[in-house]
Amino acid sequence: MKRISPRMRFRMMNPFLQFFKFIILSIKIMVIVAGGHGGTRKVN
Amino acid sequence: MSKIVILGAGISGHVAASHLRRKLSKEHEVLVVSPNSNYQWIPSNIWVGIGRMKSEKILFPLEPLYKKKNIGYKQAKAVSFYPEGDKSEQKPYVLAEYVAGTNQGQQEKITYDYLINATGPKLNFEATEGLIPGKNKTYSVCTYTHADHAWEGLNDIIQQMKAGKKAKILIGTGHAKSTCQGAAFEYILNVEKELHKHNVRDMAEITWIANEHQLGDFGMDGMLMSYGDMIMKSSELVEMIFEDRNIKWIIGAGVNKIEDGIAYYETLDGEYKVETYDFAMLIPAFSGHGFKAFDKNENDITEKLFKGFMIVDADYTPKPYEEWTVQDWPETYQNPNYKNIYAPGIAFAPPHAISKPRKSANGTDISPAPPRTGMPSGITAKLVADNIIDSIKNGKESLDHKGSLGNMGAACIASAGYGFWDGSGVSITTYPIVPDFVKYPDSHGRHLGKTFGAIGLAGHWLKLMLHYAFLYKAKMRPFWWLIPE
Ligand SMILES: Cc1cc2nc3c(=O)[nH]c(=O)nc-3n(C[C@H](O)[C@H](O)[C@H](O)COP(=O)(O)OP(=O)(O)OC[C@H]3O[C@@H](n4cnc5c(N)ncnc54)[C@H](O)[C@@H]3O)c2cc1C
Repeated sequence: MKRISPRMRFRMMNPFLQFFKFIILSIKIMVIVAGGHGGTRKVN
Repeated sequence: MSKIVILGAGISGHVAASHLRRKLSKEHEVLVVSPNSNYQWIPSNIWVGIGRMKSEKILFPLEPLYKKKNIGYKQAKAVSFYPEGDKSEQKPYVLAEYVAGTNQGQQEKITYDYLINATGPKLNFEATEGLIPGKNKTYSVCTYTHADHAWEGLNDIIQQMKAGKKAKILIGTGHAKSTCQGAAFEYILNVEKELHKHNVRDMAEITWIANEHQLGDFGMDGMLMSYGDMIMKSSELVEMIFEDRNIKWIIGAGVNKIEDGIAYYETLDGEYKVETYDFAMLIPAFSGHGFKAFDKNENDITEKLFKGFMIVDADYTPKPYEEWTVQDWPETYQNPNYKNIYAPGIAFAPPHAISKPRKSANGTDISPAPPRTGMPSGITAKLVADNIIDSIKNGKESLDHKGSLGNMGAACIASAGYGFWDGSGVSITTYPIVPDFVKYPDSHGRHLGKTFGAIGLAGHWLKLMLHYAFLYKAKMRPFWWLIPE
């Protein structure tokens, strides 16, 4: 089983590192949302 | 002039109403019929349920906003559907009953040219004997009033723990076919964190109970996701978090009865077990509202409109899990029998589950129903509104806007604890929502670059940002439409 190591926890809760994570996540989420959506069926 | 009636003012009904109003000229009427006079940003109920946010912060009254924006509003609930009218009314209509004000209890025929059914789910507590929010030590966070009660219940337990009493806390799903595991997941992590803040964590045993066969299924058949530079399963991610927080888990469990502090459940192995608790938050089964429909001669035609939820352009042919495809899922949310009726958000009947259906050794179905979270609810509502707008403007049916859950991503930011500097969130994005095993055969039906997880403080900030952004958007403040669904 995977465990959260002290180093991982430090990174998860460090406001400075997390600020960059926040920017990256916001952009990644926007890309997925703005990436659009559509149908899945073939149109004749 | 067209009249568009929207039933429900939750995420999907309100999104549809606001886009219709923005893009249609004043000669067209937009009317919302909904029993709750308030709009609520449901995802923040989690924080109401731990006493970190007052329910007033997540809601606002609809009527003043609708008045200002020239959107009609009736505080009423739809009762039955007459898509052909009746002997005395030529136009299609919905029979609605007022729930407040001087005409409370009165019924009215509300005619329409286009109808959007955005009534979401019925919170079907009755499907589990004894599961009543605020009774038998069980609570819910599905509405703001439920969440207020949940906080009262939780606070009581916290005070008892402070006085030295040990407590058992049970959080998860309250029915063998519940959905919305994500909300329960958020709540359990928030409760765990709060107990630390109140210095009583060591007094509590916290247990997750769910109908999922594996942790992290979330009714989405689980996910294979990128996590940093690793690839992991959602089950591993959730297991890692529960281990870290010392949360026990019971999975493959169909809760079927609640008594004061006792949850009875059946497992996938066919065993009947009980779990005792001092405080429980269990998500009920979701169902359709039980609406009836009639033709113009008043014959019952409910099966043309409803299959529990509303029938739309999905492929409802029953088939085994191995034959499910993304093409089964609807694209326009239009009813095939009455083409001026649409059902976005949770109101549409899904063609089947997303998770593999499982039965217990006794033949009981124990597996999650398909979730439809806020983002797809908003997106499907907007595309329905856009198709109606185009149809009105072009003078003929237009269905150019499409959005299948098999070709759409979703971001779920699960709060894992409140606090600007010590809060946390589990951010999970999934693309597509319904796995496409043909397109992505090697990654459990999903695009790995777009299906990822992250844990940390940034997740809390994101969730907080979404809270403010979506309330700003819902209040239709300047440039609200620039904020995507
Ligand atoms: C506690 C909780 C937390 C959640 N957290 C998240 C999250 O973090 N992210 C996320 O993406 N999703 C989340 N969700 C899911 C999200 O809230 C739903 O996907 C979304 O609310 C669905 O929108 P909807 O408009 O289809 O239904 P609803 O929001 O349920 O709205 C239905 C509307 O219909 C009205 N109505 C009911 N009956 C009638 C009737 N007879 N006639 C007329 N109107 C009627 C209701 O009053 C309501 O206004 C969460 C859900 C819960 C319960």
